[in-house]
Order: sequence, then C-alpha cells, then structure tokens
Amino acid sequence: MPVDEPTAKDTFVAAEAAAPAAAPEPFVEDGRADMVLDFVIDVLAAMGMDCTVDLLEPDEDDPPEEIRLEIEGKDAGRIIGKKGQTLSALQFVANRVVNRPSRQRRHVIIDAEGYRARREEALASMARRLGKQAVDEGKIITFEPMSPQDRRVVHLALAKFAGVVTKSDGEGEQRRVQIIPVRR
Amino acid sequence: MRSSPLSTLVGLIARALVDHPDRVVVREVDGDHHPRIELLVAPEDIGKVIGKDGRTAQSIRTLLAAAAMRAGKRAHLDIVD
Repeated sequence: MPVDEPTAKDTFVAAEAAAPAAAPEPFVEDGRADMVLDFVIDVLAAMGMDCTVDLLEPDEDDPPEEIRLEIEGKDAGRIIGKKGQTLSALQFVANRVVNRPSRQRRHVIIDAEGYRARREEALASMARRLGKQAVDEGKIITFEPMSPQDRRVVHLALAKFAGVVTKSDGEGEQRRVQIIPVRR
Repeated sequence: MRSSPLSTLVGLIARALVDHPDRVVVREVDGDHHPRIELLVAPEDIGKVIGKDGRTAQSIRTLLAAAAMRAGKRAHLDIVD
C-alpha cells in the first residue's frame, strides 16, 4: 500500500491530535492477511470442501488489525457446522497461526455465507431490547455465559445506549455480560 | 505408514502452528473402529498444538471430524507426547 507524503494540512491535524497523548503508529498491512487467506484455502481444500474464500477489503470503520475472510459455495453449510462450531474452530486455528508473541496482534474473522453476520445482528438486537428493559425496570440483566466474541457484540451494541453500562463478570467459560442501568 | 487426505489435513494445520514444521510427523494407523491419526511434534511445540485449556487441539479435532464426515468416515486424533 503506498504511503502518501504528509501534506501541510495533514501535519497540522496530526500535531493537534498528538497534543494530549501520542497518536498510535498507523497500521501498515504486514502480509499476514494474504498468509492467512492461503492457509484457510489450503485447509478447506484438504478437508475436501467445495467453496471459495475471499479476503474482504477493510471498511473505513473496521479496526485495521482485523482480517476478514468470507467463504461461499456448496459446502458452506458443512464448513459452518452444528451451531457454527466448525467455522469457530477454523477461525480459532487461523488466529493461532497468524499471531506470534513477538508481533502486533491481528484479529482474523471468518464468515461463511453471512452466517456470523446474521447471528451477530440477532444478538445485537436482543442486547438493545434487553438494554431498554434494564432501563424501564431499573434492574440488572445478566446474560447466559458467552464466548469473548459474543460478549464483544453485546458490549458494542450497548456502548452508546443511554442509561446503561455493560460489564463482564465470572471466569473463563462462565463469563457473562451484565447490563446495568445507571441512575440519572 | 500410510498417507490419506485426513493425515494431510492434520499435518498442514500442525506445521502452520509450530516453530519446527520440519519435525511434524503424522501417522495414520487402524483403530478399533475408525482410523487413528497420530500427530508427533517437537517437545517444545507440544503446547502450540494443544493450546490453552486444550482449545487448539479441540479445534483441530473439530476440523478433522468435519473433513472425515465430508468423506463419509470418522477419525480420531492422538497427539503423542
């Protein structure tokens, strides 16, 4: 990716932004996106799966360390597996492969035919509904234990929701999100 | 020692996870009911294929099961230490 020379305007904005705290280093793609794409293609081929894998262009508001892959094709359902567990296993292994202790963390997200996106939207909409209920009833609402990814979806869905804060409580597999109404 | 698509899969994943890919050995042996895939890695790489709370090993087993099912088979993974 070409890096533009900073213009006078950029420099001015950067100087302003840098005043309170040093701005983080801008993220530069380090080749691990293509590396993990090749790995996932090889694994699915070795599994005998009939599918294609695409590396998605990052959206402007996506964190730059994220790597998003989308699987499509005849075997997408098999690749998702029961309750998405085969897809989760593939994503977990892909994250282990790209992340080594000495390097900046990359976050690999693998979806198949929009399965994860649909599930996340359903979870986010449930979180907003329960957020409203927590405010209306003035009560703390506690979720069932969930994976770190699912807890993150709930936290993000309610991050800008007026009148509640969210936090996670418990250890390991038993960690649950709580929606806590705040007094105004 | 025989090689099959299932042992190829296990070897591919294991070599991507470890620091010493040249020391990954995958063997396929007949089990009581299903083929048993044995994975051997360098002693210092054992943790990398097992992972915290066994999550990496669990994920490899899940992928192996999906591949076996795709081929109408079942398979068992043994990580040999």
